[in-house]
Amino acid sequence: MSATLTATPADTARAFLDALAAHDVEAALATVEPDVEVVVHPLGVSGTSRDVLRSVLGDLATAFPDLLLTVQRLIVTDDVVTALVKVEGTQAAAYAGIVNQEKHIDLDQAWRLTIADGRIVAVSAYWCQQQLYRRLGVKRFDQVTIVGGAQS
Amino acid sequence: MTAATACAVVTEFVDRYRAHDIDGMTDLCSINADFSYVPFEVWGKQRVLRGDGKVGTVGKVIWTGLITSFPNLTITVHTITGNDDGDVVVEADIAGTQQLPWGNIAPAGKRFSEPHLFAFHVGADGLIDGITGYWNNAGINGQLGHYEVD
Repeated sequence: MSATLTATPADTARAFLDALAAHDVEAALATVEPDVEVVVHPLGVSGTSRDVLRSVLGDLATAFPDLLLTVQRLIVTDDVVTALVKVEGTQAAAYAGIVNQEKHIDLDQAWRLTIADGRIVAVSAYWCQQQLYRRLGVKRFDQVTIVGGAQS
Repeated sequence: MTAATACAVVTEFVDRYRAHDIDGMTDLCSINADFSYVPFEVWGKQRVLRGDGKVGTVGKVIWTGLITSFPNLTITVHTITGNDDGDVVVEADIAGTQQLPWGNIAPAGKRFSEPHLFAFHVGADGLIDGITGYWNNAGINGQLGHYEVD
């Protein structure tokens, strides 16, 4: 029996989160099925492919190279693990259409991971994009790329 | 406590929310139940008001305000999972049509529907002693026609 088949849902979730905390997106994706169902509500992103998740996580790790991910609670309910996490970091590149002003974020998020046979088969993520915008200096939702002071 | 019992308590709580029975909702919570609506923050010049505190002092006020501003407020549950420790996680859409001001958003008769995730904890006495909620306020505010990041 492989290691993944003996892993508990919590083990798999921790492996995913630990890899993300270590900025190793590919290691995080190694715990994920290729046809994973992904819904990232605040970004309006969804799909059934590991590449969708690769894009979401890659963008985050690239934009915030000093990313600090802290797991506040890990709630295991059968084959579902809900991770309540805090994401912190300093913006170093454009993110979600937001130009880089080198501002700092601290953002509480919830990641609901569904796990089967030691692999993540579904991901849904929740956070408040308004809080993200506020921390990164965005003034209006409909003009995300135009930041405060940029207009004359 | 079993997972089924915990889920049943939370299901009843959600049913009462849908029925706008705020007293009935708080009756299902312990007297000192913790409350945290993570996205809820109001930035003033010198302080930030957050949606953290107790069900009886913060939660009840927010629920009352929401139902007053959105008289047809409703909640649709998509998933509910629990465990024998009393944890219950709910994914649900909350929707409503704005009839009165909500925060600094003037009513324009617009409707919102936004995905939420709630993490409940049900204590050994069968009462909810913790509620934490996550959602995207940018989604709600945009649907209501309010685009400013306050």
